[in-house]
Amino acid sequence: MKAIPLIIKMIDRFTDLTGRFISWLTLALVAITVIVVVLRYFFESGSIALQESITYLHGLIFMLGIAFTLQRGGHVRVDIFYRGFSPARKALVNLLGGILFLLPVSLLILFMSWDYVAASWSIGETSEESSGIAGIYLLKTLLLAMPATLLLQGVAEILKNILILMGKQPPEAIDYLQQEHVEPQV
Amino acid sequence: MVELIPLLMFLVICLVLMAGYPVALSLSGTALLFAFVGYMTGTFDMAFLYALPNRLFGTIKNTTLIAVPLFVFMGVMLEKSRLAEDLLESMADLFKGFRSGLGISVVLVGTLLAASTGIVGATVVTMGLMSLPTMLKRGYSSSQATGIICATGTLGQIIPPSIALVLLGDILSSAYQQAQLNMGIFTPKVVSIGDLFVGAIIPGLILVVLYCAYVMLFARPQLQPLQGHDQPLAVHKLSRAMRNLLPPILLIGAVLGSILTGAATPTEAAAVGAFGATLLAIAKGQLSVARLREVAQNTTEVTSMVFLILIGAAIFSLVFRGFGGEELVEQFFSQLPGGVVSATILVMVVIFLLGFVLDFIEITFVVVPIVGPVLLAMGLDPIWLGIMIAINLQTSFLTPPFGFALFYLRGVAPASVETSDMYRGVAPFIVIQLFLMLMLSLWPALATWLPAAIYN
Repeated sequence: MKAIPLIIKMIDRFTDLTGRFISWLTLALVAITVIVVVLRYFFESGSIALQESITYLHGLIFMLGIAFTLQRGGHVRVDIFYRGFSPARKALVNLLGGILFLLPVSLLILFMSWDYVAASWSIGETSEESSGIAGIYLLKTLLLAMPATLLLQGVAEILKNILILMGKQPPEAIDYLQQEHVEPQV
Repeated sequence: MVELIPLLMFLVICLVLMAGYPVALSLSGTALLFAFVGYMTGTFDMAFLYALPNRLFGTIKNTTLIAVPLFVFMGVMLEKSRLAEDLLESMADLFKGFRSGLGISVVLVGTLLAASTGIVGATVVTMGLMSLPTMLKRGYSSSQATGIICATGTLGQIIPPSIALVLLGDILSSAYQQAQLNMGIFTPKVVSIGDLFVGAIIPGLILVVLYCAYVMLFARPQLQPLQGHDQPLAVHKLSRAMRNLLPPILLIGAVLGSILTGAATPTEAAAVGAFGATLLAIAKGQLSVARLREVAQNTTEVTSMVFLILIGAAIFSLVFRGFGGEELVEQFFSQLPGGVVSATILVMVVIFLLGFVLDFIEITFVVVPIVGPVLLAMGLDPIWLGIMIAINLQTSFLTPPFGFALFYLRGVAPASVETSDMYRGVAPFIVIQLFLMLMLSLWPALATWLPAAIYN
């Protein structure tokens, strides 16, 4: 039983780290898009690779941000009734949703995308443009990384809700993760 | 019976959503359970789901949708750099001599804020926190104050550059292509996000003017303004107001202008807007590493939320199609008496009702791809349809007892404001909304004239 909080903490930490890293890419997304615009309108030049890197950044941000958003409770809910539920009732909704919806959906995307991504790897699929980024197979790998990270964080959320329903306090992700990041400043 | 499974699935999903599990996963998860049962009973062919990876990769490669994180970044940056507070203060200062000055300021600042963030929840909450206490203090009744704030907050749907219009534009453009291909037109006309932005300008302005007129004529505060009428406006106040007002107006103007003149794609304009918002925050001394991190993480969360719904909707639509849902919808509309008029009214009523439980994003991704091609094939103008959907949803978000805007404001309003006050306060604005929809139905040119004039 003692292993469960440990597993939750490990997964939370992983998701938090990837999420924080991914978030900084939004700055790069803004910067590179602005550079592409400046190059095009003021210098009448452009780089297809730079242009394509915007798509790579965008894909990385929203595909890998999905698990991070789940951890932070950022996925929108219809909360007309939910907001009034007791903590135990909320935990029950989240537990059932996790098992019935999140796990099957993640597994479906994972299985359906497997051959698609493998085919791309086996031929080392590159950009349609000759001077583009030669890594379409890497971009397609996001179709596996997204469901895999979502599945992982989904398991952590399911475990947290089981603990709540058993009357135990799950480790509060926000608390211990923030503490770790505040410490260096002290 | 088997042909009605798509309908049953839709109803079950609406029920499941009420439990409150995240929408994107409830939507796709329920559809998947239906697919599984269908597979077991031999009524569903799993081959329909093989298209999924290609659909998902299409979403990653879609360059138009890159505008979403960039616009979100711009909005979050403007919000976090306390731009809205300063705006409202300066506006109220400018209008101090007028009795309805504060109310007008709230409408105008809300409009600007809506145009910059494009997110209903954010606008309503910010305006509620900032202006509700002041309005109550200055003698507005709770119903007047809450009505003005809710209505202004929902303008984020319709005033470009709104994220809602970006998403709607993307979905409508593929629906329009599909409708024309189905009709055997192989050189289809296109509709773009820019078209939708331009189309929204006149209806959006009409709304703002009607709101202001209502505030001036009917929603006047009990008390006289604090300062006398004859007190001249101090020069330093005017210059301070200009300093606060001009930069965001210029920024939004530049973003919109570059899209409307065709100089930049929405994605490029959004990036420049995000960059400009960052510069504004630096100029105001509001940007620290911690703030930057907050903006970046917020952007990631909102973006991922939007795209997970897109992914969930893709799974739903594949299952829906697998059960013959598209044929069902098409058949239904073709048998409907009254042709395109009754079909449009029916769709609008359904969207209005769905607006009680679903946000703009879900309705755009789930409902519009199903009904859009059918309605467009009946001859509706895609720009007109998009604007009507946007205004319709905006109305839905205002309507008691389920309107989203009311919930958001309830969350930040003091307990002394009765919920029934809020309901009474928004009623006149709902009438204004319905009036505009009626005008649009009678004169579709209100939405379609400007795009045609600019792009021809």
